[in-house]
Amino acid sequence: MMRRSLLTAAFVMLAGALAPAIPAAAAADPTAVISNLGSRALEVLGKNAPQSQRVARFRELLREDFDVPEISRFVLGRYWNVATEEQRAEFLKLFEEYIALAYSTRLAEYTGETFKVTGSRPDADGAVVSSQILRPAGAAPVKVDWRLIGRNGAYKISDVSVDGISMAVTQRSEFASVIQHNGGQVQGLITMLREKTGGSASR
Amino acid sequence: MDVRPLRLVFLDLCVLSTLILSGCASRSDTAQQAATYEEDFNDPLEDTNRKIFEFNQVVDRNVLVPVAKAYRTALPDPVRDSLRDFLNNLREPLVFVNDTLQGELGRAAKTVGRFVVNSTIGIGGVVDVAGRWGIPFHEEDLGLTLGVWGVPEGPYIVVPILGPSTPRDLGAQVAEGFGDPWNNLVTGNPWTLYWIPFVRGGVAGIDQRSRYIETLADIERTSLDYYATIRSLYRQRREALIRHQEENLPPNPSFSQRDDRGSPGALENSARRPGMISQAANVSEVSKQ
Repeated sequence: MMRRSLLTAAFVMLAGALAPAIPAAAAADPTAVISNLGSRALEVLGKNAPQSQRVARFRELLREDFDVPEISRFVLGRYWNVATEEQRAEFLKLFEEYIALAYSTRLAEYTGETFKVTGSRPDADGAVVSSQILRPAGAAPVKVDWRLIGRNGAYKISDVSVDGISMAVTQRSEFASVIQHNGGQVQGLITMLREKTGGSASR
Repeated sequence: MDVRPLRLVFLDLCVLSTLILSGCASRSDTAQQAATYEEDFNDPLEDTNRKIFEFNQVVDRNVLVPVAKAYRTALPDPVRDSLRDFLNNLREPLVFVNDTLQGELGRAAKTVGRFVVNSTIGIGGVVDVAGRWGIPFHEEDLGLTLGVWGVPEGPYIVVPILGPSTPRDLGAQVAEGFGDPWNNLVTGNPWTLYWIPFVRGGVAGIDQRSRYIETLADIERTSLDYYATIRSLYRQRREALIRHQEENLPPNPSFSQRDDRGSPGALENSARRPGMISQAANVSEVSKQ
């Protein structure tokens, strides 16, 4: 009896390992995460939504589907080590707010167009899901790639690239430049982020 | 008339190779020194570049954007699309040459097909018939070809009016201007038509700019350092074009090797991956396609 249940358990575990995308959990399938996000984003960020709501809703999507701590660490690059605990914590908060503010309007330009997932491939830490935003009349579709990190069977987005341009790399390059122009001080970046988000956060 | 343009092209290749060689030299010099942040960006002329960038911004705000907006208002969508298709069609001979130089015979064949179909059925290129049949226009230029061949881009430069570039891309752009068959056709003899290439370039620039008015304004508004953002976008865009976008995301995963261990040059590695070629075109080309 004992032996049998052990065998069953082993079989279940094996099946789980071989087929990680069994329907039970949609979050375990990176493709589903993206198509799901795509449809929610289009309805949530529609052109008619007021700006304040759009930012708030975008922040929700960001928290649910993006690995914000991982992205924050990446965009600070080597300065993450230099930063104090307090600076890291504040940066994390400000960065999330900044992204919500910056990208909620940027993405709104794409509403009304068709979003479709075109494929996925495994990646070092998870998967890369490819998608396209189809545009009207003959214009070439915008290619959007999503890099996802898989942890404990759940996938979260760590980078988005648009026509080959990585948002995380761009952000990291910009932040490094800002820090460099502030004498290598992370505090300089934090101050600028405060100003950028403080002025328009309530908008 | 056949000889002249060729000579000019050679002349330009000489200038170009000088630029490239000096680019190479400065790269290997810096490689021997410990990496500083300035070198991470490969932007040794940053101070000058920023001044030229500011000047370009003034021109952009006061001339290019107003003209681009007027252009967008005055001409209906289909007319502007036809104009773009016509200008793209004029580019096809050089796209073909570059496809071939890169050994991309499949892409070269598509380019020939597009040119033949669009020049005939598409009435001299004003209708992109081939695009509707599922063979879209693809960009290619000499700077990209050199990139495919492994020629380093050299340091980042900002050119007055033209915007972000690199010695490799700028040299290649100039060479292509002289090598372009249409430019040679109209400027060959008599010289009275010398202005036509400039008008063509101007119209192409305005059309390009008119397609990114909102996008670039938005990026500028939300950026903390617009100059640094454009520099990164330009390089990544050129790199993506050199890769032919087979994979949208750069092949080596930046996240699995994020540098919280603070290894020297880690920033350099992910911001500028090996073989990554910086890109230039005018600012608007950054978000092209």
